[in-house]
Amino acid sequence: MDLVTIEGKWAFNYTYFAGESASRFFHELRENQRIMGTRCTKCKRLLVPARAYCDTCMAPTDEWKEVGPEGTLETFTIITTAFPGLPAPPIVMAYVTLDGADTALINLVHGLDLSDIEAAAQKLNTLPRVRVKFVDEPKGRITDFSFELI
Amino acid sequence: MSVAIIGVGQTGYRRSFPDKSSRELIWEAARLALEDADMDIDGIDMVISGVAPDALAGEASVERTAMLGFGKPFLRINTGGVTGSSTVFAGNTFVKSKRARAVLVVGLERMGQATSSQQVFNTIFDPVYEKDFPLTTITMAALRASMLMRLYGYTAMHWAQIASRSFRNALKNPLAHLHKDISPQDVLDSPMLAWPIHRYEACPMSEGACAMVLVDKDMVGSRTPAWIQGASSITDSYAMGDRIHRPEATLVDLLSLKLAAKRAYADAGVDRPREQLRAVELYSAFSSAEAMAYPALGFCTAEGGPRFVEDQFTDPRLPVINPSGGPQGANPVSATAMVRIAEAALQVRDMAGERQVADVDRAVATGQGGATQFSTVCVLGKRQAA
Amino acid sequence: MVNVDGVYIEGAAIELSWADSRRNLMELIYDTVSKAVDDAGQGYDGIDSVVLAAQDLVDGRSLSSMVTAPAAGAYLRDEVRYSDDGAGAFAAAVARIEAGESERTIVAAWGRASEHDVEELSRSLFDRIFMAPLGLEELHVSALNAQRWRIDGGDDGAAAAAQARRGAAARANPRALHAGGRRSTPAYPLRDEHLPLWADAVAAVVISGKPSGVKLRGMGLSSEPYWLGDRGLAQAPALRRAAERALAEAKLDVGDIDLFEIDGMTLYDEAIALEAIGLAPKGQGMRALAENPRCNPSGGSAAGYGVPAMGLARIVEATLQLQGRAGTIQQGKPRTALASGLSVTAAQTHTVIILEAA
Repeated sequence: MDLVTIEGKWAFNYTYFAGESASRFFHELRENQRIMGTRCTKCKRLLVPARAYCDTCMAPTDEWKEVGPEGTLETFTIITTAFPGLPAPPIVMAYVTLDGADTALINLVHGLDLSDIEAAAQKLNTLPRVRVKFVDEPKGRITDFSFELI
Repeated sequence: MSVAIIGVGQTGYRRSFPDKSSRELIWEAARLALEDADMDIDGIDMVISGVAPDALAGEASVERTAMLGFGKPFLRINTGGVTGSSTVFAGNTFVKSKRARAVLVVGLERMGQATSSQQVFNTIFDPVYEKDFPLTTITMAALRASMLMRLYGYTAMHWAQIASRSFRNALKNPLAHLHKDISPQDVLDSPMLAWPIHRYEACPMSEGACAMVLVDKDMVGSRTPAWIQGASSITDSYAMGDRIHRPEATLVDLLSLKLAAKRAYADAGVDRPREQLRAVELYSAFSSAEAMAYPALGFCTAEGGPRFVEDQFTDPRLPVINPSGGPQGANPVSATAMVRIAEAALQVRDMAGERQVADVDRAVATGQGGATQFSTVCVLGKRQAA
Repeated sequence: MVNVDGVYIEGAAIELSWADSRRNLMELIYDTVSKAVDDAGQGYDGIDSVVLAAQDLVDGRSLSSMVTAPAAGAYLRDEVRYSDDGAGAFAAAVARIEAGESERTIVAAWGRASEHDVEELSRSLFDRIFMAPLGLEELHVSALNAQRWRIDGGDDGAAAAAQARRGAAARANPRALHAGGRRSTPAYPLRDEHLPLWADAVAAVVISGKPSGVKLRGMGLSSEPYWLGDRGLAQAPALRRAAERALAEAKLDVGDIDLFEIDGMTLYDEAIALEAIGLAPKGQGMRALAENPRCNPSGGSAAGYGVPAMGLARIVEATLQLQGRAGTIQQGKPRTALASGLSVTAAQTHTVIILEAA
């Protein structure tokens, strides 16, 4: 007797509402090529990316402020193996604290020589300064920019 | 009110069980737990199950076909990586509240049905700001591992030693999914997944079910209990970027685990964890995740972590970490945190077979889930907490 | 028997909306949880625990609480998420207070129907091997139950009046969804107006062991088998047992209860539920729904329906009634109220909560 297997696909359609705060963040990316944070009314941290409230304080944010375009790399990984459904390696991904921000922001790091992974890792381990680089035609998505080493 | 674990059932773990339905896996684990507890299903007042995420099984509420015991109160929990321990803690709560005298908790993982698990894991991230990046459970761990190396001097060899130790412990655990004699050098020679993580530092994808019977102290009788001396769960912020500059704890200080341990230890009367906890079952999906747990559990300082890894191989007085092989031996995601508690219970009850650690008076089990965000700590003992 | 003297609802909030693009899911959650905490009047400092009901597929995030729990106040608190209904989460939160594990707990539940395809998600609830290939949805099970109830001699003549009353109640309810929402396509014998009005729903309460406005009097939970053929169609046996347990704990007869907020997906489910809890004789549930304004004064599923928040939504509505704060739909001065919630596939599990004005 054969054990039965049945092919399936687990795919569902969603329309996610980004909301007013994220929409404004994306609008600033697309129209002005700048990265904005919002300040918590209680702890006063400038939270990046911008959001409507601070979940540490459960308090709203108010002031909008531009950060960067330069910043400091905080930690990173270099993806070296391909996984089904995800972008092709090698890819450098890092948290960066943009100048003026109190939180770090994740994005890809481009422009690094990845022919020797270990050497690239050692370079990133020095926590280099980076600069935000926008794509030629920003679409108002988080992928409109990436980081490059200064 | 004291609560005891008197029954443990595990199906054993494999890549997949093509010969068993989800219902049969759950029933098998439950049957073994009830047998161990010397009870039948009629003696159970409530059933709590944990399965997460639904997408890994490709079915919603995959355990619903196995309603155990007609008409019983039934709740289901989903807290990602800590689903298994959250489920045990919920059972503990209902017994402590006197709403149930005996609770059956079950954890099931059916991810053998998923053909692209890291793609599924990518869909756990925020769709607005983060999902466009290749964030997965692996890269999330890698971002922390590189930080640990820079801050505290961990080397690739430390990661390899931790992974190899777990693999070799799993050789003594017949329930484990992987039985491979992997040396530290084998780990270093395995392909790089995401720098600095090698393939053999990552845990496997496993299927299987785990179940336990929790009862109040009046029902223990002549059975061999593992007493729940302390159980605590703490949630951190989702935003990893918000934790980098947090003064009280950075991204690699496991604040949620530290706070959970503090509470659980206080309830259990543990004040010298390194001496009092003989067996430790960590939910460490990667070597670096294990390293982050050491200082949070009070085994060493953050800076002393690399030394603690080295000393484990030479100092027999130190706690024995993951005698079962831990998640490296088997990682049935939804159930893994319950398996940690189940293995700790077997250690306390002197029922761990070839993987039994000598003289276990107390054992601790942890759970870790979300964006290294949900932490659970469970202290089990031969005696009730004072 | 459990001593439940000592769990109180201190604050409650609910919001039903539709496709409000100004706020993302987390912001919806944050707003309603903040309102419940404000309503309780104690701030966040005394809150040590958070119990949530949310579902990955509903939220379109494969581990929903990783992203959403912080919006409900989970930061550095003992938080747990049930992939269950809001009333089930409420029961678990009550047990935490009774166990002495928490002083004050937030309970929150949500579901945002405007972000996903409700029918597609409903189909995912059926097992892949036997049921899913048939294209079953939960509303089809409601239709099967409704028809069985009619075959068994249910007084269907009252359906039009019952629908008219609950439609009017929903229109009068200031917290109901009054614009937007959508309905699925009905399956015989159900009609458009019998169906739930899909909505974006968030409900939240704050509970503690300190005496406050509304007190828990009793609760009960129960379950049914998965296979529809193994269940008692049109009888809701899980709800019947859950209600029996809750009433026994409250030491009350169903006739002692002043107000009912019952969770059912359709008009017929609500009618069958009234029979299951013992308020109406077999076949007379529709008549009770038509004639008794204290059954679902909120308008039930016609007021807006967002899985898995509905059990907690019923608890919030019952709480507001007991406190005399229900506004235009206030039903006199009820002393006791019964609320229910359902979960898993096609109402496989039920939770019944009995509350009284303290």
